[in-house]
Amino acid sequence: AQGQADTWQMPTPYPDATFHTKNDRDFAADVAKATDGKLTIKIHSAGSLFKHPEIPRAVRSGQVQIGEFFLSIMNNDNPAFGADSLPFLATSYDQAEKLWQAQKPIVEKLLEKQGMMVLYAVPWPPQGLYTKKPVHSVKDLAGLKFRSYNATLESFAKLAGAAPTQVEVPDIPQAFSTGRVEAMITSPSTGVNSKAWDYLSYYTDIQAWLPKNIVVANKRAFDHLSKEEQKAVLDAAAKAQARGWEMSKKETVEQTKALAAHGIHVEQPTPELEQGLKEIGVKMLAQWKEKAGPEGKALLEAYQK
Amino acid sequence: MSILTISAILLAILFLMLGLGLWVAFSLMGVGIAAMTMGTSSPLGTVMATTIWGNSNSWALAALPLFIWMGEILFRSRLSEDMFTGLAPWMERLPGRLLHVNIFGSGIFAAVSGSSAATAATIGKLSIPELKRRGYPERMMIGTLAGSATLGLLIPPSIILIVYGAATEQSIARLFIAGILPGLLLVALFVGYVVIWGLLNKDKLPTETGEGLSFAEKLRRSRRLIPIVLLIAGVIGSIYAGIASPTDAAAVGVALALLLSWLSGSLDRQSFTEGLMSATMTSCMIAFILAGAAFLTVAMGFTGIPSLLAEWIGGLNLSPYALLAALTVFFIVMGCFLDGISVVVLTTSVIMPMVEKAGIDTMWFGIFVVIVVEMSQITPPVGFNLFVLQALTGRNILTVARAALPFFLLMLVALALVVVFPGIATYLPNHM
Amino acid sequence: MRKLLDALYRLSGGLAAFFIVAIVAVVLAQVCLNAADKVMAALGFGALGLTIPSYAEFTGYFLAASTFLALAYTLRGGGHIRVTLAIQFMPRALRRAVEALVLAAAAGMTGFAAWHMILYVHDSWSYGDMSPGMVPVPIWIPQTPLALGLTILAIALVDDLLQLLAGRAPSFEGKDESLLSE
Ligand code: NA
Ligand code: NA
Repeated sequence: AQGQADTWQMPTPYPDATFHTKNDRDFAADVAKATDGKLTIKIHSAGSLFKHPEIPRAVRSGQVQIGEFFLSIMNNDNPAFGADSLPFLATSYDQAEKLWQAQKPIVEKLLEKQGMMVLYAVPWPPQGLYTKKPVHSVKDLAGLKFRSYNATLESFAKLAGAAPTQVEVPDIPQAFSTGRVEAMITSPSTGVNSKAWDYLSYYTDIQAWLPKNIVVANKRAFDHLSKEEQKAVLDAAAKAQARGWEMSKKETVEQTKALAAHGIHVEQPTPELEQGLKEIGVKMLAQWKEKAGPEGKALLEAYQK
Repeated sequence: MSILTISAILLAILFLMLGLGLWVAFSLMGVGIAAMTMGTSSPLGTVMATTIWGNSNSWALAALPLFIWMGEILFRSRLSEDMFTGLAPWMERLPGRLLHVNIFGSGIFAAVSGSSAATAATIGKLSIPELKRRGYPERMMIGTLAGSATLGLLIPPSIILIVYGAATEQSIARLFIAGILPGLLLVALFVGYVVIWGLLNKDKLPTETGEGLSFAEKLRRSRRLIPIVLLIAGVIGSIYAGIASPTDAAAVGVALALLLSWLSGSLDRQSFTEGLMSATMTSCMIAFILAGAAFLTVAMGFTGIPSLLAEWIGGLNLSPYALLAALTVFFIVMGCFLDGISVVVLTTSVIMPMVEKAGIDTMWFGIFVVIVVEMSQITPPVGFNLFVLQALTGRNILTVARAALPFFLLMLVALALVVVFPGIATYLPNHM
Repeated sequence: MRKLLDALYRLSGGLAAFFIVAIVAVVLAQVCLNAADKVMAALGFGALGLTIPSYAEFTGYFLAASTFLALAYTLRGGGHIRVTLAIQFMPRALRRAVEALVLAAAAGMTGFAAWHMILYVHDSWSYGDMSPGMVPVPIWIPQTPLALGLTILAIALVDDLLQLLAGRAPSFEGKDESLLSE
């Protein structure tokens, strides 16, 4: 398509107000500007084109040229995709950065086998613990109904002595109100968006993990671009990567403040709680190593170097 | 090709296919194929397979066949007849009499079901045979059902408020609460209309046996309501007791309906199988149309037609009231051809910034959108309540749509009231 | 051949119904576990966290299987909705021609969809795609009933088209359910 204008369709599961989507829009604008409008990227937010689990496959099969998804949604395909959702492996932006450097070559290789190439990956704010009552040690989690939506969280709940419970996102407020769930781990952003203060009172900033969204392109579609367009995409992606991480840090500060401003008790974890959670983290890492195979081993070695 | 040309061609294709008697699901799919062919270079067949798969496996949708099955079980038991017999003596003074059962039945059912199609299918299955047997006029019977089944979307829980809340990052719990008063307003308007109609058309309504009974006798007859009250209490109770999500509650409904109909002696192997197979067919029909609508939605997403039209409205720089009027017209027109939820999904990205810029409360706007989407459920040619009622009554879609027209207009009145008195939607959630 | 086809439609319809029963069974089991948890907590034992892993995901898969396996059965039972307003006023010969055209169009679309669904399932299988939830399932397994159901529907549509061309009435004629018919 050299010489003529091209449009890339870009589905993302997340709504317009999410900082990830805002970052994507800036990325699209950068690409359009650098190519003089020869390549435009049309963003389809909030799952309006494809549902979340379908997005990686839609990019792979060339139904769309580019797409965004939650990296660990592919955890069941290969545990290396889910390394950033392992509790207490990387708990700060610096550690998350280091983890991504270790994870990236492996993720790239795995996605390349499916005809996809990585453009950029941006973390969500560190995941905190939401409860109705204060939690000062792992013992306080015992017997609580704990929201688990994947095998990792289920295993976490069990190790903490809590009762894993499945609740779909839209159902969270009602499930808290009726006692079907009593604790969950998620980001401050999600807490603010769902107005967590309507149905719970405590947020403990345990910084359990920093999961990432990843933006990938279809390799064939990318190869089809002119050299200048390819450069424009890669440059804009590098910018989006850097900008996204800064946005994420800012989001963490702002949304944690917003939680407090709406009357949620924002607490730092007690040393006792931190110690207990770390012990769980060690056990989970051991479990993960068993499943993760050679890729997982290489990833861990690179990260812990 | 310009957007207008493509839109005109697609509309012509839709009307041609529907008019020649092609099944609705295929007609939607056919328009989607045409749109993809003209509007994009993406691989048509793969997109079709992806969307059909992605939209058909849905936990939220799983409540649909269960509620329909519950209706089939009750239909084959004595429970639905009992309900009407128990209610009849109490309704004799109320002009319109048992027609109100459609409205209140739908209102109560809406409190457990998030979909208007499930509401229409379940309540319709129970009330149509009873009302027909008692000689109620067909048009009012169909109209009240078509109109009040849309309450499934406004009275919480609601699938469309979940979709809207997720797309606009709002508290779904608050949106649900915001839907309560407007839902009750619609109930009041529908009841008022039926009362006035009843006063003006006394000769068209049948007289009930058991009129002029003593209070004690009325109470005695109300014993027959106990099973249905137990059923409703069990389903709603399971949610508030914290043992069932709203989707789970549908399974509780099936279990209780089976139990009650077994206790009343009307459940046997044959009625079980018949009810189950009939529910399988009805839910297949609705879910297949939904799959066709999902493919058309994605095709429209690729062509960008809905968002371009919305952008055009944004470019007019209208005042808030004029913007709302323009959006109402836009949603009603789009709602004639697309599933209402699809319109919301396809256009929020474009419409929400306009709405925010105009200083309109986004939570309030959610309720506004739901009322307009409710209206789209009863506008031909693509209206889900019309399809369900056509399947139930065997009357053609235009007859059903004509019966529903007064209720469409009442929803327009409700919409105007919510615009003039925004507190109807915002009071409850702001005073939680 | 006739008997074989009818058995195929009935079998897939029966399977579809089975999946609806399966939805009820799985969800109800989860509700009972929730209730047991509630009781245990009320008695002071603390919740056990009895869950059926991935039950929401599985119910979604069952629903998709039910919908698509029921397609042909529903067609033959007159369950799918269409607008017959115009064709019912057509002269008999014209109506037959239009019916044949409609059946051919539907068969064509279904064949196309079935073929691409088969390719899609094959794609999921060859990449080894897994479901994203708590219990990893190779995703081609829950996708297969969709390909199967669409294929059976395509067969049923061709079946009816041949019936019509042979001068017989299609299976769904006059079968629209109606609570209002006299
Ligand atoms: Na509802
Ligand atoms: Na409509």
